[in-house]
Amino acid sequence: MAVTAAGEPLPGQFLTLRVSPFSDPLLRRPFAFSSYRRASVGRGARAGIVYQLRGGATRLLAELAPGSRVDILAPLGNSFPPPAEGETPILAGGGIGLGPLLFLAAALSEAGGPIAPRLVLGVRSASLLPSIPLPPGAVVCTDDGSSGFRGTPVDWIAANAPEGRVRLYGCGPAPMLVALAALAAARGWGASLSAEQWMACGVGACMGCALPRADGSGYLRACSDGPVFEASEIDWAGGR
Amino acid sequence: MKPDLRVSIGGLELANPVGLASGTFGYGSEYEELVDVDALGALYTKAVTLAPRTGNPVPRIVETPSGMLNSIGLANPGVEAFIAGKLPGLRGRRCAVFVNVAGATEEEYLEVLERIEAAAGTGPRAGVDGYEINLSCPNVKHGGLAFGTDAAQIERLTRALRDRTRRPIVVKLTPNVTDIAGIAKAAEAGGADAISCINTLVGMVIDVGKRRPVLAMGSGGLSGPAIRPVGVACCYRASRAVGIPVIGLGGIMSSGDALQYLLAGARAVQVGTGTFVDPRCAMGVLGGIEEWMRAQGVERIQDIPALLEV
Repeated sequence: MAVTAAGEPLPGQFLTLRVSPFSDPLLRRPFAFSSYRRASVGRGARAGIVYQLRGGATRLLAELAPGSRVDILAPLGNSFPPPAEGETPILAGGGIGLGPLLFLAAALSEAGGPIAPRLVLGVRSASLLPSIPLPPGAVVCTDDGSSGFRGTPVDWIAANAPEGRVRLYGCGPAPMLVALAALAAARGWGASLSAEQWMACGVGACMGCALPRADGSGYLRACSDGPVFEASEIDWAGGR
Repeated sequence: MKPDLRVSIGGLELANPVGLASGTFGYGSEYEELVDVDALGALYTKAVTLAPRTGNPVPRIVETPSGMLNSIGLANPGVEAFIAGKLPGLRGRRCAVFVNVAGATEEEYLEVLERIEAAAGTGPRAGVDGYEINLSCPNVKHGGLAFGTDAAQIERLTRALRDRTRRPIVVKLTPNVTDIAGIAKAAEAGGADAISCINTLVGMVIDVGKRRPVLAMGSGGLSGPAIRPVGVACCYRASRAVGIPVIGLGGIMSSGDALQYLLAGARAVQVGTGTFVDPRCAMGVLGGIEEWMRAQGVERIQDIPALLEV
């Protein structure tokens, strides 16, 4: 998509968009940025999102003609922290949770840190692999073994993680985030996980996208306190 | 000629009839970069309760056909944190600020109002110009809806609140009753300066695959365009039952929607879920009302209800 408004997104940040001017579907839909390219001479800025055809809203999105104008609010939320010195960045994406990790992988590669990021993508089956290029060295995992590693990204990482300190970056369905948080805790790794939650406002006003704090002291908002949290901050299984 | 958009609620003059509904706009700061709140008539804050409330378990929201269900559970920092952290920011507002007050018991409502009254003082720029009393939240176990469906209790509580403030009191009504006219009359008898209606309708969505309700609390409050006809009908009935102004809300997305409420008898409106869909929704509603009045040759907001032909 072409970008015309101000404000450059960082990896982990998201946008909300209105897929139709009508009242059904009603709410704006949140999507993490999967890419961003600055404007340059003769060329506008461009941003990307990754989505999967799931319901009425994504179908309408897919039917938009190239060049259509879409009502977008962005950039929203916080961003992934960079890995600390000596930490190996491992990026685990489940399904369309791939989006923000593609952006992060590109940013880390561009920054040229000493340790190249490793992206691990998990989908249920090969037919659900996204039709977008993955960065060099990316590992594909399928639940049914129809492509790449048979198992989840968490299984692969547990078996193949390098020695030394690791920082996990994750985005995907709740069971995957629960498993990533557990793996990070068991190995003493840092983990920055991006939450997926239904949102109404996207800016911190409605309290709809709450996530339970790990210490039981209340809730944090996925939209404005996150969407990226240190894994130990959130009760990832508490959001059902 | 420029139409006169001013509206009077209990002696308080609002610059125009469009407000932002409680629970959809926080305490005014969250949408700061996107919405010029001070160009609107009023801001109705997120509910304030005596003690802090972390809110209900999640999931708290789900989309429905042309609407949404919420079960937030009046999450708010409590009256003391409101006074320390939110009231100072509200003192700078040029639009009218109605602080939405909620409680589980009658005493809690009174205590919240008394503490805000004491902190706000009586001078200008108090940070609070009036109160909206939430007698109709469907998402808390005690208070809320339990109060909102009992006319005698509404009258008693409104009178007790009336004795404790000179600022305008707006009583927010639920549509989850058999006779909203009787409930509106009870609020008026207790000394309310206005009523606002409607709060959300109780609703439930079930995930068939998981065979359980989507919301952690089971049911929630339905809002959005889906409830608009219910809101318009409630305003129509309530405004014929009482002499005090009725403030209409429920599914307003456009000026046409707002004009339905005004024609039904409302003196002012609130935009709630519409702000989630388009943060500038209320601004568009305001501009459209003014344009319509100009085109129709209507001079004042209070002249609109008489234009309805039934």
